[in-house]
Amino acid sequence: MVGISKHFGPVCACGDVDLSVAAGEIHGLLGENGAGKSTLMKVLLGLVTPDSGQILLRGKPETISDPLTAAARGIAMVHQHFSLVGRLTVWENIALGDRGRVDREHIRTVVREVGERYGLAVDPDARVEDLSTGERQRVEIVKCLRRDPDVLVLDEPTSVLTLEESRDLFTVLRRVVADEGKAVILISHKLDEIIHATDKVTIMRQGRVVGRRITAETDERALAREMVGRELSKWTAATAVGVMDALIEPGQTEPASGPQLEVAEEPTTADEPSAQEVSTPEGSVAADPSGATPSAAAPTVTEATTGVLLRIKDAHAISPEKIPLLRGLTLELRAGEILGIAGVEGNGQSAVGDLFSSLLPLTSGTVEVDGKTIAAGRPGAMHAAGIGVIPEDRHASGCVLDMSVAENLVLADLGGISKRGLLSRSRLNERARALIEEFEIATPSPDTPMRLLSGGNQQKVVLARELSARPRVLVAAQPTRGLDIGAIEYMTLRLHEAAKSGIAVLLLSTELSEILTLSQRIAVIHRGTIVGEMDRADVDVERLGMMMGGQTA
Amino acid sequence: MIDEASVILASAVRLTVPLAFAACGEYIAERAGTINISVEAMMLGGAFSAVLGATITGSASTGLIFGMVAGLIIGFVHAQFSHRLGVNTYVVGLVLSALILGLTSFLLDSVKLDTNNQVNAVNIPYISDIPLLGPVLFSHRWPVYLLIVLIPFVWWLVQRSRFGLELRAAGENPQSADVTGIDVRKRRRQALLICGLLSGLGGAYLAVGEVGMFNQNMTAGRGFVVIAAVIFGGWTLRGTIAGCLVFGAADAMRLALPALGVQLNAQFLIAAPYLLALLAMMFLAKTHRAPGALGIPFVRGTA
Repeated sequence: MVGISKHFGPVCACGDVDLSVAAGEIHGLLGENGAGKSTLMKVLLGLVTPDSGQILLRGKPETISDPLTAAARGIAMVHQHFSLVGRLTVWENIALGDRGRVDREHIRTVVREVGERYGLAVDPDARVEDLSTGERQRVEIVKCLRRDPDVLVLDEPTSVLTLEESRDLFTVLRRVVADEGKAVILISHKLDEIIHATDKVTIMRQGRVVGRRITAETDERALAREMVGRELSKWTAATAVGVMDALIEPGQTEPASGPQLEVAEEPTTADEPSAQEVSTPEGSVAADPSGATPSAAAPTVTEATTGVLLRIKDAHAISPEKIPLLRGLTLELRAGEILGIAGVEGNGQSAVGDLFSSLLPLTSGTVEVDGKTIAAGRPGAMHAAGIGVIPEDRHASGCVLDMSVAENLVLADLGGISKRGLLSRSRLNERARALIEEFEIATPSPDTPMRLLSGGNQQKVVLARELSARPRVLVAAQPTRGLDIGAIEYMTLRLHEAAKSGIAVLLLSTELSEILTLSQRIAVIHRGTIVGEMDRADVDVERLGMMMGGQTA
Repeated sequence: MIDEASVILASAVRLTVPLAFAACGEYIAERAGTINISVEAMMLGGAFSAVLGATITGSASTGLIFGMVAGLIIGFVHAQFSHRLGVNTYVVGLVLSALILGLTSFLLDSVKLDTNNQVNAVNIPYISDIPLLGPVLFSHRWPVYLLIVLIPFVWWLVQRSRFGLELRAAGENPQSADVTGIDVRKRRRQALLICGLLSGLGGAYLAVGEVGMFNQNMTAGRGFVVIAAVIFGGWTLRGTIAGCLVFGAADAMRLALPALGVQLNAQFLIAAPYLLALLAMMFLAKTHRAPGALGIPFVRGTA
């Protein structure tokens, strides 16, 4: 693939990306969420049409306009979310993309043959919905392999698998590559599986290729740094310009004497200044894991705060489909602090958000506010306990787009503006006007439909509504996603002010830069549990990256 | 006694037939993911057109074809609205039902229709003479035998053909089906066309088969009974047909009981099929599962 570019509106998903994969190798494609890995692969599969660039197969330029063409050219993909129909049997699913008469016996034979050839045993007559996720993936792979593709793409294949199942998968992939000279592209953000399973790795960041490595010549540390490096440099740049200084220094940490990260007490961190991050040669001296070293800043943080306000103890929860969402998540949040939860998307952040929106009951464990246990999952319980939530998706659950700005502003607190069960129109308007002014919401009038506001102003409405309910804990999930710079800055400022006023702020974000900018303490979530915690001042981006990738370094 | 039982049973079968034709269609539409509530419109339109066709051509059998075409047209309109323009299926169905009711009532007043033109009855020699069973099963108008052939064909079409496989995939998990290269909306439109064809035939049979004429609103909610039958049958063809038989029998009882001297509230018997469907949903909800994407419009690229 040469010079592939794809923009979604103003967002550059892929900018001038080159990727070359040779037959007989497993090629890792490493990057954070939104780094452009999936988009690049969708281009290869014909699901997305690139703005520019070319795909060369065995040196010949090819136009791939849809998945069927891709299949005909020998490119097959195992999707992250399986493309299987649960109610159908295995053989029916495998027959699904074919043409012509359905020949049950033939397909069953093929399933068994492919299964034997690669060690992917599945019962062709089983119903897919009765299979485990590992088995389902096997079906998906069999579905791809039976067409004898030359290039097999796997998108985050292990995100739903157990360790054992992952290991089996890689054995199979190895066989595919070694015995038949196929090429495998493995999309992943998990460092260990890139290290263990691939021959070469291409690292992407913000839509660009930032590194190409021979796996054997690199290590997890170097990869982690390359994967997340951008966040660091962006943050430092912001700090250097002074945009964020005022925000970061609300008397919590030591007086600013330059970019935060370089102030960390660990001496070895001095030799990884941010500017060098991007181009750090892989062989350079990696920083020590600095987690064990206590930082001078840490005690200050504790002093500035009072006791624990919010406590989640050993929370377990499952989805309606019985998939574990939280696995023993434990968390403490003090008044006046901002705790950032970093992690790769899909590791339980949504579940935490749902938990605080009273949408998710726990199978075990407790949530306490100020020592009092809250009934998780009972509608309104969390809100009543003083927890405000800025939901992850403001359109879906943050506001009602077809209601007016004023109505949206008072939704969380109808008691205050109603009398004997009837809404008081004048009080509503008064309240709305005050909030619009206080939060600088740019709207033509309080009666303007929410739909007509910009994303930033919509988010301000959500924020104003939640803060006006005087919460003790504010949970902000992806609060700046999709906003412009001005709005991001505003949100950042407001969240800091909220914390300063004594609200405990829990920030859930997959954007590391957001976490680094806002939080005083950072916890990393991985597979539904907190795998590590550190103070902002102690942050070692490399270690953070490794923790996010599932390494408890 | 045997005679009476045989008369009631034969009438039950007769009343089941229009339901069963339409139910085969509805079954296909629902397996593809559409709860097609315009089936009432399809039956009513089919009934009217069949009598109209019979009046024009003088042949009741040709009338059946007219009925099928009418159902097909309604199915086409429904399909275009809900699976091309993306208008809510229920709204389209309701509007079509109201429209056809009004249209047929209006046309009934403006057109002079034949009142006694029925398709031929066929007594299958010898076996129709078997006591009890003979008159019940083998002494009917000819479309009944068509139904007997149709049911296994529908089963084969849905369960064994590639078309059926893609249809079920579209109804269960349209996103997956889409990724696999199936045109989900096209399959759903096609299912609605088949549904229109069969429901039109069901309505037509009611008019030119059983009654021999057209009355205002003569289907009287049978379309909804059909939908209930599919639910009752748990989205299996066997269950759907069984549901039609139950509802047909309830209908036959309603007509027969007064003649037998039993006093039972007729209104109750009219309501009985719906009550049965509700009860069935209550008890079978756990074991029977509707197609995963039933009633959910499909838009490419979501989820």
